Order: sequence, then C-alpha cells, then structure tokens
Amino acid sequence: MNLDLLIAIFITVVGASTPILIAATGELVVEKSGVLNLGVEGMMLVGAITAFLVVFLTGQHYLAIVLAAGAGIATSMIFGFLTLSLSANQTATGLALTIFGTGFSALAGQGYSARPVTLLGPLFPAELATHPVLRILFGYSALVYFALIMVVAVWWFLKKTRAGLILRAVGENDLSAHSIGYSVIGVRYAAVAFGGAMAGIAGACFPLLLTPQWAERMTAGRGWIAVALVVFASWRPFRLLAGAYLFGLVMTMELYAKAGGGPLSAIPSELWAALPYLATVVVLVLISIRRDASTNAPACLGRPFLPSN
Amino acid sequence: MPLRLQLTGITKRFPGVLANDNVSFSVKPGEIHALLGENGAGKSTLVKMIYGIMQPDAGEIVWDGQPVVVSSPKAARKLGIGMVFQHFSLFEALTVLENIALGMDAKIPARDLEARIRQVMAQYGLLLDPHRTVATLSVGERQRIEIVRALLLEPKLLIMDEPTSVLTPQEVEQLFDVLRRLAAQGCSILYISHKLHEIKALCDTATILRGGRLVDTCDPKQETSRSMAEKMIGAGLKDIVRPEGRSMGEPKLVVSRLSTAKTGHFDVPVNKVSFTVRAGEIFGIAGVAGNGQNALLDALSGEIRSDDAESITIDGFPLGLLDTTERRKRGLCAVPEERNGHAAVGEFSLSDNSVLTARDRLGMVVMGLINSGAARTYTGKVIAEFAVKALGPASMAGSLSGGNLQKYIMGREILQKPSVLVVSQPTWGVDAGAAAAIHQALVDLAAVGSAIVVISQDLDELRALCDTLAVINLGQLSPAKPNAEMSIEEIGLLMGGVHGATEAHDAVPA
Amino acid sequence: MQFRLEKRPEPSKLMLYVTPVASVLLTMLVGAIIFSLIGYDGVGAVREIFLTPLTNSFKWQDLGVKAAPLIIIGVGLSIAYRANVWNIGAEGQYVMGGLAATGVALATYGMTGWWILPLMMIAGIAGGAAYAAVPALLKTRLGVNEILTSLMLTYASVQLIYYLVRAPWKDPMGMGFPQTRRFAADALLPNIIPGTIVHLGVPIAIVVALIAWFVMSRSVFGYQMKVVGAAPHAARYGGFSENKTIWLALLVSGALAGLAGMLEVAGPFQRMVPGFPTNYGFTAIIVAFLGRLNPLGVILAGIVMAITFVGGEVAQTTIGLSSSATGVFQSMMLFFLLAGDILVRYRLKRVIPAQEARA
Repeated sequence: MNLDLLIAIFITVVGASTPILIAATGELVVEKSGVLNLGVEGMMLVGAITAFLVVFLTGQHYLAIVLAAGAGIATSMIFGFLTLSLSANQTATGLALTIFGTGFSALAGQGYSARPVTLLGPLFPAELATHPVLRILFGYSALVYFALIMVVAVWWFLKKTRAGLILRAVGENDLSAHSIGYSVIGVRYAAVAFGGAMAGIAGACFPLLLTPQWAERMTAGRGWIAVALVVFASWRPFRLLAGAYLFGLVMTMELYAKAGGGPLSAIPSELWAALPYLATVVVLVLISIRRDASTNAPACLGRPFLPSN
Repeated sequence: MPLRLQLTGITKRFPGVLANDNVSFSVKPGEIHALLGENGAGKSTLVKMIYGIMQPDAGEIVWDGQPVVVSSPKAARKLGIGMVFQHFSLFEALTVLENIALGMDAKIPARDLEARIRQVMAQYGLLLDPHRTVATLSVGERQRIEIVRALLLEPKLLIMDEPTSVLTPQEVEQLFDVLRRLAAQGCSILYISHKLHEIKALCDTATILRGGRLVDTCDPKQETSRSMAEKMIGAGLKDIVRPEGRSMGEPKLVVSRLSTAKTGHFDVPVNKVSFTVRAGEIFGIAGVAGNGQNALLDALSGEIRSDDAESITIDGFPLGLLDTTERRKRGLCAVPEERNGHAAVGEFSLSDNSVLTARDRLGMVVMGLINSGAARTYTGKVIAEFAVKALGPASMAGSLSGGNLQKYIMGREILQKPSVLVVSQPTWGVDAGAAAAIHQALVDLAAVGSAIVVISQDLDELRALCDTLAVINLGQLSPAKPNAEMSIEEIGLLMGGVHGATEAHDAVPA
Repeated sequence: MQFRLEKRPEPSKLMLYVTPVASVLLTMLVGAIIFSLIGYDGVGAVREIFLTPLTNSFKWQDLGVKAAPLIIIGVGLSIAYRANVWNIGAEGQYVMGGLAATGVALATYGMTGWWILPLMMIAGIAGGAAYAAVPALLKTRLGVNEILTSLMLTYASVQLIYYLVRAPWKDPMGMGFPQTRRFAADALLPNIIPGTIVHLGVPIAIVVALIAWFVMSRSVFGYQMKVVGAAPHAARYGGFSENKTIWLALLVSGALAGLAGMLEVAGPFQRMVPGFPTNYGFTAIIVAFLGRLNPLGVILAGIVMAITFVGGEVAQTTIGLSSSATGVFQSMMLFFLLAGDILVRYRLKRVIPAQEARA
C-alpha cells in the first residue's frame, strides 16, 4: 500500500468520525449536567436538513452551519421544556425527539432528495496542503478543526472553569446544588442547548462534509453511536477522540469495501454496513468489563429534578 | 446591644399544612439559641426562610436592626448567615476543595482558597485534607467540610440543622467546643435539635415549636429534660409498658461469622458478625451511620445471600443460603431503614404493598394469581390495629406521612407473627406518638416469644427498648452486653472504633 | 390570573386517562395550525389523517391490519417499560421474527399441512425472543445499557434482510429482484373476513392484549414487572430478582415483536422483501406510552396510530402531503402526552393574590 492511499484513508477516517465526535462532545456536556438526552439522532437530522436547505438555497456553507446549530438548539428546547420544566421522563422524551426529528426532517426535505449541493471546502489554502504530510494537518474543512477544538474546549471548561465545576456539581447532586443556591434547571437548560447546537452542527456535517445531498434518515444511527461513545469514553472528553476515530475507521472500511477495495470486498457488503452498529455493541461490552467504567458517570444522570419546595 | 436576628409573625403555608404559624423570637449576638421541636414541628421550614431557600407568606425578618427580605441563600450569605444542613449538600465525586469553592459566592483562586481553608481549620481544630474526594470521608469529616465552608464566610449567625444525629458522642463534644469558641467571638448560633440533653449542655436559650406554633422560649439550664419534652410533645410522656415476669427463652436467632462482599465503591460490608438473640429478647445494634448497618440488614433479610448456610439459623434451622421469600416462610421478617422505595413502594396502594412481603405467609397467591381480596382484608387489619392514618387499603403508600407509613410497615410485618423480626431505624423521622406506638408493638411482639433485632443510630431509643446491646463499627460487631451493664462512654468508644482491651488482645496473632 | 403547580397527594386517575385523549385532540388542533403556518393545507391534512380513515368504511380493514402489529408489539413494550426495561429495539426483534418465520416457510416450501403456520409462529416468537436475549444477557451480566444494544441490533438486523434476500434466499424466479419467493398457500395467514384483507393476525392481536391485561393486573408476574419498575430496591426486599425481571421483560417483548413479524410476513407481505422493516417497532413505542402501558389502552392507542398511518397514505394521494408528516403528528402526540403527565402528579392552582392570603 502506498503512502498516498494511507493518507487518503486517514483523511477519510477523520472526516467520517467528525460528526460523531461533535455530537458526542455535546452529549457529554449534557450528561455531565445530569441529563440524558436520547434525542441526538433526531436533533442531528434536523441540523442536517437545515444545513442542506441553506446551502441549496444560498450556497453559504458557514451560514448553513450556524443555522443548523440554531435548529439543533430549537429542537433541543422541546426536550428541555418537557424534561426540565415539566419533569417528563427523559428516556421517553428523548425517544420522542428522535421520532420527531426523523419525521420533521423528512417532511422538510420532501422533494429535495438527490439534489446535489457542494461540499464545504478545506479551511486552509490548497498551497499549504500540497505535500502529503502537510495534507494530514491542513487538508480538512473547518468542521474537522471545530470538532477537535471543541473536545479541548469542553475538557478545559469542565476541568478548569468555575462554570464547569458548577455544571458537574449539578449533575452530581442536584438537590445539594439547589440548596447551595445554584439554578439546577438553568444550568441544565444551558447544557441541553449546547448539546442541541452540537448535534445540529454534527448533522450539518452530513450534507456539508460527507455526502453532498439530502437523503431521509441520512444520519443512519450515528446519533445513537454518539450516545454510546459517551459511555465508552467514561464521560472523559479526550477518550471521545479514540472512540470516534475507531468508528471512523470502521465506516471507512465499509466505504472501501463497497468501492471494491480488494480483499475487503470478499465479505458481504451488508456485513460491512452492519459493522459500526455491531462494533458499538462490542465496545459497550468491552467498556463494561472494565471495573471503573460506571464510577465516573454523573450520579444524577437521567433523574428528574424535583425540588421539595 | 442590638439583636442579631429578630423574627416577627412568620407564617408559611403548604398545601394542607400550616408549617409556621405566626412565629416570633429573637437571637442576640454571641448567643447559642436552640430551636427545639419534633419532626414536623416546623423547625426546618423556619430556618429555610431565614436562609432564603423559602419565602415566608407573612411576617418580618429583622437583621441587625434592619428589616430584610432574604431572597436566596446567596443573599443570606451576603448578610452573614451561614448554614450547615442536616443532609449535607456535598458532592461525593468532587474534592473537599471543589466542594468548598462551590459554596463560595466570590470567585477566589484555588490556591488562595486553599490557604484560607487551612487557616480556618487550624484556628478551630478542624482537620481535613482539601484534596480528598468527599466519597472517601467519614460522616463526621463531611460535616467538617460544611462547617469550614460556613466559617470561611465569617458568619454572624450560623444555623446548625440537627448536626449531631450522625456523630459519635466524642465527635459531638468536639463540635460543641467549636461552637462555643465561635459564640465567644460573637457569632450567634441557631441550633436545631430534638435532643434535650444536648440543648441543656450547649444552649443559652431554647425556643420550642410544636405543630408550627411557638410554644415557649425558655432557659434550658433551668428546665428538666422531661419538662422540655412535654412542651415539645404537648402531652405527658407515655412510658413503654413492659409485661410483668418476662423471661428469655432458648436461643432463637443465631448469627455466626456472617460476612458480605463489598459491592459498591463506597459501601461498608459486614465482617464476621456473630450474635445470638433469645426468644423474647430485644437485641439492639448501635452505631454511627454508614458502618455496615445496611449490609447487615440486607444480609439478615436475605437481600444479600450468604454462601454459608449455617451463618444464620432460626431454632437451629440454617437459613444462610435462602432468599428473602424463603426466609419469610421460615419466620424471619425484616424492615429496612428506608421506608419509601425499599420497605414500601410509594406509587403502590397499601394493599399492593402488603402483597410485597406478606403474600406467601398469608396465602395471598393462588396458582400464580394474586388474591387481592385477601390483601385488602389484611391491609385493613393493619390499618385498624396500628392506627395508621390512611383513607383505606387503596391509599397510595407515598401519600402517607413518614410516621404513618412506618406504622403501616411495622404493622404489616408484626401481624405476620414473625418468630424473628429485624428492624432498622424503626422510629427515624417519626413523631413521638407514633414512635411510642412502634416501641410498644415491638415490646409486645417480644412478649409473645419472638426474637427482635433493632438496628438504630438513636442511642436513647436503644437504651429505652433493648435488653442487650452491641455496637457496629466498620462492619464489625462488638461483643454483646446487657443494656443495663453498658455505660454511655463505653458505647461511645465502641462507636468510634475503640474496642476493649480484650478485643485488641484477641486481634494480635499469638 | 396566575396559576401555579401544586403536588397532588395521590396521582390523579382521571388525568391518567384524560391526558392521552387530550393529547390526540391537541395534536389535531396544533397540527392544523402549524401545518397551515408552514404552507400546507393544515385543516385538510388533519381531516385526511385523523378523520377520513374513520368515516370511510373501505378503510376500516386497513385500520385492523395496521393496528394488529402495533398492538402486539405495543403490548410487549408496555410490559417491558413497566419493569423499567427500555427495549427500543422491537423493530429488530420484529425483523428477526419475520426472518425466522421466512426461514421455516422457505424450508417447508413444497410441503403441505396445517402444522406449517404454527411452526412459523413458534419460529417467529423464538426469533424475536432470541434477538432480545442479547441485550438481556449483556444487561444482566455486564450492566450494558439495553437502550443502546437493542437499538444497534435493529440496524444490524436490517442489513441481515438485505443480505438474505440478495443472496441465499433470493427468489430463483424473481427476475433478479432482491426478495424471496411468495410463500406456499399453507404458509400464508388465512383471511378471516372474505373479500377483505383482514387476516388472522387481527383477532390474535386482540387476544394477546386481553391475556396481557389479565396477567399484568392479576398475576404475580405482572406484580413483579410493576414493582421492579417502580422501586427496584423494594422489589429485591420483596423477593423479586431484578435480573430475572430484565430477562422476562426483554424475552416477552422480543417474543411478541417476533410474533408480529411472523404475522406480517405471512400476512400482508407474503414474502420477505427489503422493505419489510416498516417502523412498526418504533411506532409501537408511542403506542405503548399513549396506551398508558396498559394492554387495554394499547388496543385503543394502536387503533389511533393505525388511523394516522392509513390517514397519512390518504393525505399523500389526496392532498400530496408527504407520508413523513405522519411521523411528525405521531411524535407531537407523544410530546403532548409527556407534557400532560405533569397533570397526573400535579394540579394547576390559581394563585391567590398576596393581600388576601395575609388577611
């Protein structure tokens, strides 16, 4: 295998893992605040269709990303209102949000499937990425760098800032945080909105970064994989990176197999297509065997907050 | 000197309850002021309004001569009011330093904060490592965090909500030292408790609440414990009636070298616990919370099964390998500490809760189907005989008050006529009337020949109720002694983990 | 006038049953408004989706046929959710049930006999249960979240259909279409009303729901599911094993989803095709909630959902509304229901102005 192919594979892996990484980073913050939002897949689809429509109509990629984030926030606020203000069951509401996002995006995208748009180009000028090695550093679109920066930023926020400490405290013991005088609901709304924005941007990656068109359910369960990734990472931001690239690799292998990539195509393409999902199960199993896996989980995860007064 | 805090006509209404009704009293600078009352008397509601967690419906709070509206805990801290909660508002997964930082309103760099923490700790003799994770600390140490957190704000009034319920007698003394030093420096202390001897030892003034109303303000040193108790309860105290000529029978429950595995990160297992309870005996197990009481109850009830059949026997029959259902069939019933969610299901009717533990002993199941008529009839009997205040067997367990739910649970188990009954914290958070009824029911059950184990953190309860006492510390049980032969100092030392000389001698390999 | 929420001493039975009805009505109202605002014929959409299937008697057979799998799967899910076991992979278990039944139908192709259908039914039930056993095993042994595993297995099961109908099970006379051959007559569900498409699955769905209702309300099994779901700690104290309950909940819900898969493949589909996964397994989640996790409620909720499916198709042909609008209406219903839940536990109370309270 030559160097060019390896570099091409590497770049594909990074691209394929980017939406999962962005969505998982958002969900990590949500879960750290003690909220389990299972609607990531739905928010991603809303982000995807928003980004697609904006690019299709205006050709403005960065506007598309911003509006996709806004659409993600708007969708997440349905979840926030139901679970935080009305203390509805988080699992059920998250599922409902995914069903909603699937239906809504299909409705909004009706008549647009298979209409092409242009991908978001690389961030840096092409001259910087002429050399193969430089391409590994400078050959990506802004979304890829955004994903990496956000991982670092979220780590720094949770670990080093007072606001991050408060967010962790709220996820750890909501009643205590309330009795000290922090607004549990307010912190959680902010976290859910952040998760919504990130899921919206993750959705935008599909038409802007991966396949330049709209297709119903085009996120194909990546939102759920992102949720699984947070568990895999034991709620630690940097571990998200490893997990996301692992999934990127599996998905890249699928692409190569489908394209008739030599030895890979000996295995039925359906198995390749099923592999990311099966890999998620395997990864969840592996992580659960490690003893300390769940000890880092926020203690209030998924529990509705009901102050006594 | 102006008054530090003055309350006038404070009233707070909740759905169906008047929690505070026109309460007025005042606290002077440097005064240690007790707020005394039973559970549900309105003490916690009152201090929550002083600390800004709740707002009064009517009345005025005057602080250092100025009328104030305490809109939030933050506003309270700004005024100079600190509070140490009964249920600590701590975050287990975070460090001591992070916990304290969360309680500070001003943004202080971590290094400066640490320096100030160390200074306060040195000043008051409160020892703690700021970098330890709270989950690894004992209850007494956790309380120190709360106190340090409050002291860092240099409060002019410190509210302590039932601070000693989780401490050993020795730790209580240390706490009192800190509080007296603070008071000597001019800090007022509002001390909430229902423990009369503590109030007599510590406080300058006592305000007594009953049913949300102020009953009396008095000098505790001039009162007897009994006179204050009667003001608190509002009636003459009822003593436990013990049947005449009671004698212990044969050993009924024999526990030998019972151990449990460590399951979670932070729980305390029991280690080789052995004791014997005779027919008709009430056996008390004292200890500070979190020393293996929960594991002991689960191991006895069958929620945790032993791998040694002989580790628990009733009348010689080995039960160690059996599950809860089979142990119940053999006559062993248990009542865990947590009422809602463990001993009972809040979302279920009382009748359905009877099915939970009484279905096999009382034939409520026929061929896999539940005989709900039998469950209703039995529940009605429990309600009637234990004077449970509930609309009927169809009432939701969660709608009952703590005391009434506990009476129902105790009734549900006692009316099954168990030959062994194990109860944990039978009267925790229960009003005096209900507590007396529960104590009487336990004594009556023992009188007909059952063996009873009472696990409790309330020493007064154990002293009043038990024939024999042992102390649990870090999962190990001290040798049992007749209640009358144990001094409070001895119990206190055992609770703190200091065992007698013979024990220490045994531990050294020969 | 101001209102505030006040906790009820006991959950309101009335609200428990009023809120599902109210959420359906609210969905119709709000749906009409929203769809009008975004440029559709909102009133027309609501009329076609919610009313036409009821008023047009030709559509009633469709309702029965669509409701049957939703009810069967919804009943299973309602039992699992009662136990707080979040099986959301019913779609995958439905697929595996359908595939197992297809396997029997293909293996017995050319044979005749009354035993073929029961055998397919057993295979379908076993297929669904076996697929649900994977999350059960992982949850009870390793504590792996059943939501994620059951869902991931659903995505994988769809690929298994694609593989089977493309290669080993492909119809040799199918002119290259990726699908199996049409099942033999003895492997097809009989029609129970001549001249309609109503098949045996419809009465089976009703019977399944009635049995489940009886078992859940009267038996120790039902009690076990409910107590483990409501208070796992209390359940252990009462002598019910949480792990056993997880197994039972997943096996029962998986078996019922598998049964639904068998009934669909041997009924309306008559063969296995790539389009076999029709989201019944996901829609049944809404059915279970709308039915208040009560098997009798699930019958009604299943019919309501069937109405929106049939109506969605009507709206597609009459006013050109995308069938995906159905999903939007269905999720709106669930949103309103979840929002309304708070009224079961709390009541709205008018806040009395402060000066009156002081007086």
